[in-house]
Amino acid sequence: MRLKERIAFLKFDTDDLRLGLTCFFAGVLLAVMTGPEGNLAQPVYAVQHSLFSSHVWGFLIFGILLGAASIYRRKIRMGVLGSGRATPRRSLRVWVSDLVFDPRLITKLTTGLIALIAALIIADFTGPFVPDKMSFGQITDQFTHTRTYGYIAIIFWLLYAYRVRKHPRPESTHAPSFMSAPWAKILGGAVGGLFFALCADPWLPVRFSWSYFALHGPSNNVFFHHWTTYLWTFAGALVGFQAAHTHYVAAKPSASRIRRVRPIKVSQNTRLALYGGALFVAVEAPKFISPYWQESIFQQIGIFCLLAIGLNVVVGFAGLLDLGYVAFYALGAYTNAYLTNALPIHPPIVVNAFFSIPFAILVCMVAGVLLGLPTLRLRGDYLAIVTLGFGEIIYVLASNLTNITDGAGGTAAVGSFSMNFWFAHFALNGLAITDDLNFYYLLLAFIVPILFLFNSLNHSKVGRSWAAIREDEVAAASLGINGLKYKVMAFAIGASTSGVAGVLSSTKLGSLFPSDFALQVSIFVLVLVIFGGMGSITGVIIGAAFIGWILQYLIFHSFIDYQDADKFMYLGAILVLTMIFRPQGMLPAKRRLREFQDSEAGLGSADAMGTAPEGPLT
Amino acid sequence: MTNENIVEVKDLTLRFGGVTSLNNVSLVQRRGEMLAVIGPNGAGKTSLFNCITGVYRPQEGSIEFHSAHRDAVNIVGRQPHRVNQLGIARTFQTSRMFNALTTFENIKIGVESRQKTGPIGAMLRLPRTRREEHESDERTLELLELVELTHRMNTPADSLPYGDRRRLEIARALGTNPELLLLDEPAAGTNPSEKLELAQLIRKINVEMGTSILLIEHDMRLVMSLAERIYVLNFGLVIASGTPSEIQQNPEVVAAYLGTTESEGAEQ
Repeated sequence: MRLKERIAFLKFDTDDLRLGLTCFFAGVLLAVMTGPEGNLAQPVYAVQHSLFSSHVWGFLIFGILLGAASIYRRKIRMGVLGSGRATPRRSLRVWVSDLVFDPRLITKLTTGLIALIAALIIADFTGPFVPDKMSFGQITDQFTHTRTYGYIAIIFWLLYAYRVRKHPRPESTHAPSFMSAPWAKILGGAVGGLFFALCADPWLPVRFSWSYFALHGPSNNVFFHHWTTYLWTFAGALVGFQAAHTHYVAAKPSASRIRRVRPIKVSQNTRLALYGGALFVAVEAPKFISPYWQESIFQQIGIFCLLAIGLNVVVGFAGLLDLGYVAFYALGAYTNAYLTNALPIHPPIVVNAFFSIPFAILVCMVAGVLLGLPTLRLRGDYLAIVTLGFGEIIYVLASNLTNITDGAGGTAAVGSFSMNFWFAHFALNGLAITDDLNFYYLLLAFIVPILFLFNSLNHSKVGRSWAAIREDEVAAASLGINGLKYKVMAFAIGASTSGVAGVLSSTKLGSLFPSDFALQVSIFVLVLVIFGGMGSITGVIIGAAFIGWILQYLIFHSFIDYQDADKFMYLGAILVLTMIFRPQGMLPAKRRLREFQDSEAGLGSADAMGTAPEGPLT
Repeated sequence: MTNENIVEVKDLTLRFGGVTSLNNVSLVQRRGEMLAVIGPNGAGKTSLFNCITGVYRPQEGSIEFHSAHRDAVNIVGRQPHRVNQLGIARTFQTSRMFNALTTFENIKIGVESRQKTGPIGAMLRLPRTRREEHESDERTLELLELVELTHRMNTPADSLPYGDRRRLEIARALGTNPELLLLDEPAAGTNPSEKLELAQLIRKINVEMGTSILLIEHDMRLVMSLAERIYVLNFGLVIASGTPSEIQQNPEVVAAYLGTTESEGAEQ
């Protein structure tokens, strides 16, 4: 029997071959793209990596592993390998509830925690900061990632304790293992609590660093003399005890051993609470992190979020593939530069950046409509090519119209936000480190209302019309919906959001370079949208935050000689992984998810990129 | 201003390259009338529908639409969504639902397309938007009641059974408040009992709502029982028109359907 299974695994069919080769070539492509020729922005002597450097090999191996993993996964799903029955594709919700009800969750969590600690220690040691060169007092907020891990850990523990309390777990169907014993749970809980105390305890006067700990040992260490450390450890042990107790209670014989897993439903109140909590975290959390992260949150993640939310209207809601999105970003930035008198041509009145926002919106909206009216009659790929061309036109104009834009050298001294009104007096300085947080709040003040506006837009007549056009333009027209009008509308709304992002980012940097508006930015924002889940605002924000964080993290913790130009390699890897394992994105919109399922079932063409079915009208 | 005829098709000719799909077709429908167009496969029935709804642009001829509210307009050359806004709605031969949307949303899209709310109103949820939203909800519920799909309100359209889907499509078209409703084989693929219900529904729409109905159907019993007058198309030509009993006795129609030697004469 087992031999048979193994033989079955070895039988490759053409689909396996295709899958494996695709993955392998994806790896090769990623590696070659980042080779010496791939990076034209730097002179050749400055390129520090070649085809034979470690990360290129890394990606080749990544491609091979990915191929093997995909084939393995496919075999499991087909039922050729493993338990012998086909396992259907599970939704994320079912997956999560399966995970939470998993009888061996404690074991897995404890293992996970140990792995996390290990990863943390590695991250700490490989990072650019060497703690023993600093005095003890300096080890403060630079180790924020330790604290992040601590928060993640405690959230897991609380979630687990909550689930256990509400739904006592049935008796384990697995053989009792070493880690599933009650004492192991209490110990695991205590370890978790201690871990949290060391990493994330808000009452500790200084932050804990694993490398510092390793160098200096536990002696004369403030962490183990502070009462909260013991409090957290005790609390963790209590969680563990609770888990063990409910395990004992639930272990009494019952009629049905296997519990049906119900998908978790989020009620309206829970959702509101989640939004409120997210807003609270968004307002409060940045106060506790280092200025470096404050800046990168604004400059990378925040602007990415705004761009992605705007592109989501075009790609996610209306289903149009826009590859020239960055053009509107550039238009917004240059509008601001013009109105704040940073360009060779001078405006009639020099204004501060607050007033250039409505102008930027107007300019981008007009540009969006002008571009949209002739091109949105095109479908799918054609539209993508035309918008791509538009993006390049703006880029080339910005680089070459030296009289107007200062050319490729860029322009400096773009004016910033200031206010002198009644009780509010301030002037933000983009280059001042102290203003990073203020910029962040300004950005938040733009993003949060936009979220609400776009959300109600999506759940209105307009959003439904977009969905209708996306699904079947002919049927939509037969109901009196003017497809062109709604597409242009989506285009203009996306464009103006991008324009606002352009104003904000140019203000922060204080300077403009045409190279900031290259094609890569469009692609990058598209990756954010696709990764997060098209059509889902929450998903897109999470996608932008995650990818923005990953990129910053890589800069900080350079395992494999990471340079900024490498980022597209990693983005490519993320995109390939997303397409293989979760093509609908991390948190897809409900409608979008259904479209994906329909298209997998061969019902309609729910291709995300707006190739509406144009079949015979029989 | 009101004309007795709601639609007047005059000398309509539609060609695709060398193939003549409709050849000098003329057709008149009176207001409030239930009219049927029958004919063998490929006779040009759906092409006629596509011309009337603006999807195809015929090379010759005119289609006059006499709305009760405005002057007569020629439909030829107008875009499909404009034609719908004039007061002509249609269903499709193979159902073209918005599969990822629920039954309720499918109908609501049709109702809403008549409303004035724009993107700004929708974003800010202005009072007018909220009022219109409320109105469209009410109307959608009425239509759901009419086609007996209230219990399926929140089901995605792709998981509805076939018969329900056909009724949903009729409700969706009715949402746009048409004066003329074009039904393209509404009973295709339904079982006899569903067919009976569908016939009742169509008659109800015609009688109670006063909507003129133009019907394409293959099921002869259904057509004969529903239609007041019938046009018969064959190879793009109108070969007969009249009341159901006249049509049943017309030798040319019988020939077209049964394919005797006489039908060769009808071919160009």
